[in-house]
Amino acid sequence: MRAGHGAAAHAGGAPEQVKDLSDVPSFPAIYAAALDPRSRLGGKRGKGGKGGAGGGAETLPSIAYRVRKVRIDAERARDFDHLMGGPATDLVHPGVLHVLAFPVSLALMARRDFPFPLLGLVHLRNQVLQHRPVKVGDLVDVECRVRDLRPHRKGRTFEAVSTILGEDGEIIATDVSTYLVKGGKPSAAEPSGTAPSSAASAGAVPSSVASSAESAGATGANASTSDGGRSRRDFEPPQPTGRWVLGADTGRRYGAVSGDVNPIHLSAVTAKAFGFPSAIAHGMYTASRAFTEARVDLSKPLRWDVTFDAPVTLPGSVLVAFEDDPSVGTARCVGWKPARGEKGPRRCFEVEVTTLGR
Amino acid sequence: MTPTDSPRDALILGGNRIPFARSGGPYAGISNQDLLTAALEGLVARYSLQGEKLGEIAGGAVLKLAGDLNLTRESALGTPLDPRTPAVDMSKACATSLETVLHVSNRIRLGQIDSAIACGVDSASDSPIEVTPRLRRILHRAFAARTAMQRVKALSAIRPADLAPVPPRNGEPRTGLSMGEHQALTTAQWGITREAQDELALASHKNLAAAYDAGFLDDLVTGYRGLARDQNLRADSTLEKLGTLKPVFGVKSPQVAEPTMTAGNSTPLSDGASSVLLGSAEWAAERGLTPLARVIDARSAAVDFAHGDEGLLMAPAYAVPELLDANGLALQDLDLYEIHEAFASTVLTTLKAWESEEFCRERLGRSAPLGAIDRSRLNITGSSLAAGHPFAATGGRLVATLAKLLHERAKETGRVQRGLISVCAAAGQGTVMLLESVTD
Repeated sequence: MRAGHGAAAHAGGAPEQVKDLSDVPSFPAIYAAALDPRSRLGGKRGKGGKGGAGGGAETLPSIAYRVRKVRIDAERARDFDHLMGGPATDLVHPGVLHVLAFPVSLALMARRDFPFPLLGLVHLRNQVLQHRPVKVGDLVDVECRVRDLRPHRKGRTFEAVSTILGEDGEIIATDVSTYLVKGGKPSAAEPSGTAPSSAASAGAVPSSVASSAESAGATGANASTSDGGRSRRDFEPPQPTGRWVLGADTGRRYGAVSGDVNPIHLSAVTAKAFGFPSAIAHGMYTASRAFTEARVDLSKPLRWDVTFDAPVTLPGSVLVAFEDDPSVGTARCVGWKPARGEKGPRRCFEVEVTTLGR
Repeated sequence: MTPTDSPRDALILGGNRIPFARSGGPYAGISNQDLLTAALEGLVARYSLQGEKLGEIAGGAVLKLAGDLNLTRESALGTPLDPRTPAVDMSKACATSLETVLHVSNRIRLGQIDSAIACGVDSASDSPIEVTPRLRRILHRAFAARTAMQRVKALSAIRPADLAPVPPRNGEPRTGLSMGEHQALTTAQWGITREAQDELALASHKNLAAAYDAGFLDDLVTGYRGLARDQNLRADSTLEKLGTLKPVFGVKSPQVAEPTMTAGNSTPLSDGASSVLLGSAEWAAERGLTPLARVIDARSAAVDFAHGDEGLLMAPAYAVPELLDANGLALQDLDLYEIHEAFASTVLTTLKAWESEEFCRERLGRSAPLGAIDRSRLNITGSSLAAGHPFAATGGRLVATLAKLLHERAKETGRVQRGLISVCAAAGQGTVMLLESVTD
């Protein structure tokens, strides 16, 4: 299971390896590993490998990380529900599955043969397809992979895919996180205009795994008409239906229930150490809260799609607007920072939840 | 069964409230139980109910201490009523005491009870302040601990931030917006002007002041703690004075181009209690009490404000047409309207919605609008903008007021008088009720 195997695999060619982990890894250990200088200097990484996204020839390791028989902890699910402002339900919020799988995919991305630095990734988008409900106390298997490396006008994107399987081996849910690796130039063969739709959110937030200061969001307004028109300038806020007042401890509280203790979310001091002017909310906190407020029937199959734009700085508040379309079973929520002085309003996230098979 | 098939009438026999005070005013340091007991004692005295065993007392408070679980029963035990009178506590935000009236009137109509008091109380001055959920759970763990070590371990989890007191939430839990902010959006959406709101506020003060001066409230209000009239009442208010007040709601909302809602055209946080005496015709006759009005029917509605489908306080705009239809009435068939003034603009948006062809078609599915009302029949003895609005006490104030007005007008005109009560409530709810005059 050495790095060489996975890195040597040709995309789509070599058979996938599966590495079984005995348990879900802990975040602090992964982040500590990610901060280890050896893992950041990319000399020993896969082929293209100069740590950053400089080249164009990196390949993603063709390996799956798997943890079997993970019990969905009832207390953790309860704390998660309460943090999102919802009732503690026996059917599990898909955000709980996300945080269950997240450290597993993070461990995969912390591998030496993973071509990009872990703390340089920007969470652009998250898509969950849940086929059936899960109850607290259930046992599930978690499998994580990375795939689909593509050029993007600001670097490259790839997907971290987590699959949650039931005891019967059936897929319960698939959770696809699209990350941006900033820097470098897209290859000439694939001009930015053909960037995939998942990269269409121009000004993405550094979210769960993130890097330097002003991030993609700062440059996002400049160019985006070609791939989705999600320019900051275009954003006209709708009539708000609510306001989220987020205290300075928002990141710490989500860190406590999710285990994601990325320092950029925890405090202004730790965020500054990584180049952020203040702490920023976890993207999946905003996404999960919007999910709760969307009032979804958890007993039904569902889709939960999120795109992230400007970061939500802490402490702070965002306005949100929900819009339901009962004819297709969709609830949409957009969250934004209102205009302040010279600065126009900035969209922070957009969440769409669709009930399937109604 | 249609409402008129009801086995028997539930009659409103009278009411009593204490003057409403502004939060932090003369009732500061006075509890909900104190206030409610005072209102009930006045009612007992006025209608000679000493030693009476009533069918039920239904009451409630919105801002309620956990220890007040039997607030109504405990308050009743402090009065000269027969201590064997049962009581129930209910809650539906600002519609609480309209719901308590509805509850006991239904029981009377069904023959389950013959007499009742419906009441409500609130004290913004003495609202509950709680501990943080985290501290609460830590303390519960510590209480459940079997050994001293376990207890110490549980308590050692307490952090300084856990000790911060938690006052009642100012705002809708599901949206984080205060009621005023919600209404500011609705107000802007319906284009209700500042002038129209100030005019309604002024009318409320003028009407209530005139009603006090005419002695109308003499048998509806009993003084308490040195207060003889509602503290918020400004008999000398003018449009100029109201016009000087700065907008307080919607000022931070980019969707509200011109904020219009001020402290003058919004209700203040208040303290107070109200009560209403109801009974069957037989029960009233046995005691020589004069019925004022009967409860004809009631409806409630709710709107989805959380996802922006409708304004937070617009539920009565839906409940009233349903109530009218069920009773074969047009909006204009009513002789008097009591529309709770949560904000002046709440009344005005509701009226405007009923006048709107589009709203009535799109939202109510009606071919024609309900139409305008004769504004000289609206809140003719003032309402919450002048009197103040102790949340759970407002419904009782409205019912007692309207019942007396209907009775007086029926005697004057020789015709049956009908009146409407409409109360909006937090969480997108509303309760509305029809009363009809009773004369000998």
